[in-house]
Amino acid sequence: MKRAPASDRSSLASRLVWIAAAAWLAAVAGGFAILWKYKSTPAAEGALAPEQWPAASAVTRGTSRPTLLLFAHPRCTCTRASLAELARMMARFHDRVDARVLFWMPPGAPPDWNATDLWTSAERIPGVTVLRDEGGREASTFAVATSGGVVLYDGRGRLLFRGGITAARGHEGDSFGQERIASLLTTGAADRADAPVFGCALEDEPPARMARAGTFTSNRGGER
Amino acid sequence: MSVARKALEMTQAATEAIVQRAETRYEAHRQETFRSADRMFAALMIGQWIFAIFIALTVSPYGWQGKVKAVHMHVWIAVFLGAAITSLPVALAWFRPGEPLTRHAVAVGQMLWSALLIHLTGGRIETHFHVFGSLALLAFYRDWPVLITGTVVVATDHLLRGILWPESVYGIPNPEWWRFLEHAFWVVFCISFLILSCRRSQKDMRVMAERGAELEALSENQWRNSSVLERAAADTRGDR
Repeated sequence: MKRAPASDRSSLASRLVWIAAAAWLAAVAGGFAILWKYKSTPAAEGALAPEQWPAASAVTRGTSRPTLLLFAHPRCTCTRASLAELARMMARFHDRVDARVLFWMPPGAPPDWNATDLWTSAERIPGVTVLRDEGGREASTFAVATSGGVVLYDGRGRLLFRGGITAARGHEGDSFGQERIASLLTTGAADRADAPVFGCALEDEPPARMARAGTFTSNRGGER
Repeated sequence: MSVARKALEMTQAATEAIVQRAETRYEAHRQETFRSADRMFAALMIGQWIFAIFIALTVSPYGWQGKVKAVHMHVWIAVFLGAAITSLPVALAWFRPGEPLTRHAVAVGQMLWSALLIHLTGGRIETHFHVFGSLALLAFYRDWPVLITGTVVVATDHLLRGILWPESVYGIPNPEWWRFLEHAFWVVFCISFLILSCRRSQKDMRVMAERGAELEALSENQWRNSSVLERAAADTRGDR
């Protein structure tokens, strides 16, 4: 069998390399598109937070200034960004708002459920009180279904804002949730009173898109 | 043919030989620089891939849905997208070192690594330094078009996300029109000096090649002359 001349083989190889480069670009662009979609998809809208501070809540509300509640799943790594943004906001507005972080404690959680770096990070934020939300009662009362969800009430208990304070899932940086809270705390008004929330769900039902990798053991017992 | 003309032709031939020799030396040096940078980036790409998997496993190993945990999307992204980004530059560095396509693929890959690491670390401002570090590393090629390719990747990323998902770049959905220019300015500021440095470096390489060629020619000439003298001495001694 006659072999193709060296120049033809070289030309074919060169063409194949360019095809491989184009396929590579397409594959990488596809990968980034999947990542962007994942990070930019907010949690599904649930019930709306009550317009007036709920009487059923056991959380203390400040009467002289607004109260901000941030609900957090203690193991949701996406919430790390929400806490980082809360820390930034508190550095600016610590004298204008009372902030509390409520960590979700599901029924039957193991003793070390809250022993995470998120709890420690929240405790380190000046002006923030860290609380346990036993059984997710407070999250349910304030109709917050996603970790990183924030509600802001004024001194008279009226809802000012509900939503998230990050621009994407687990992504630090400016967001319009923060902008609106900052505007509410400084001018008393904002263009909107909500923002999308990005984070893990504070619910038990496994979503269809997540492969079940395991659940914690249901040891009843002490808490952190 | 007059002696003067013959001498002139010999001088011209000698000069042409030196120029050719200088060009060969310069090309060899450039190729060695490209190949050495290709090898460095191949190792760096693999290192970044391992680092990305480590980051994903330590920073965000699981996603949670209530009490149910699943392997976090970041882990899969670090493994598979990281492998995809690494694959072509490493393959080209291995099989086609020193070629223009290889270093431009490396430039694209390196800037994509910046984007991926920024995502994996949750958009930390510190990780954005990787962009400027990468541009500086690409200057190791001493080939300024590679820096342009890197910059085009950053600009395309900003442009696409600025149109499709502006919050991910600027944090707000309706950024001022000049925000893009603010980001672009710092990249242009960085690469302007790197391009100058690359051009100066190329010039230095050329000067070095010319000096090397001249020295080589001189040394060869001396050797030839000494050989003639030696032959003459041998003839006088009647060795033949």
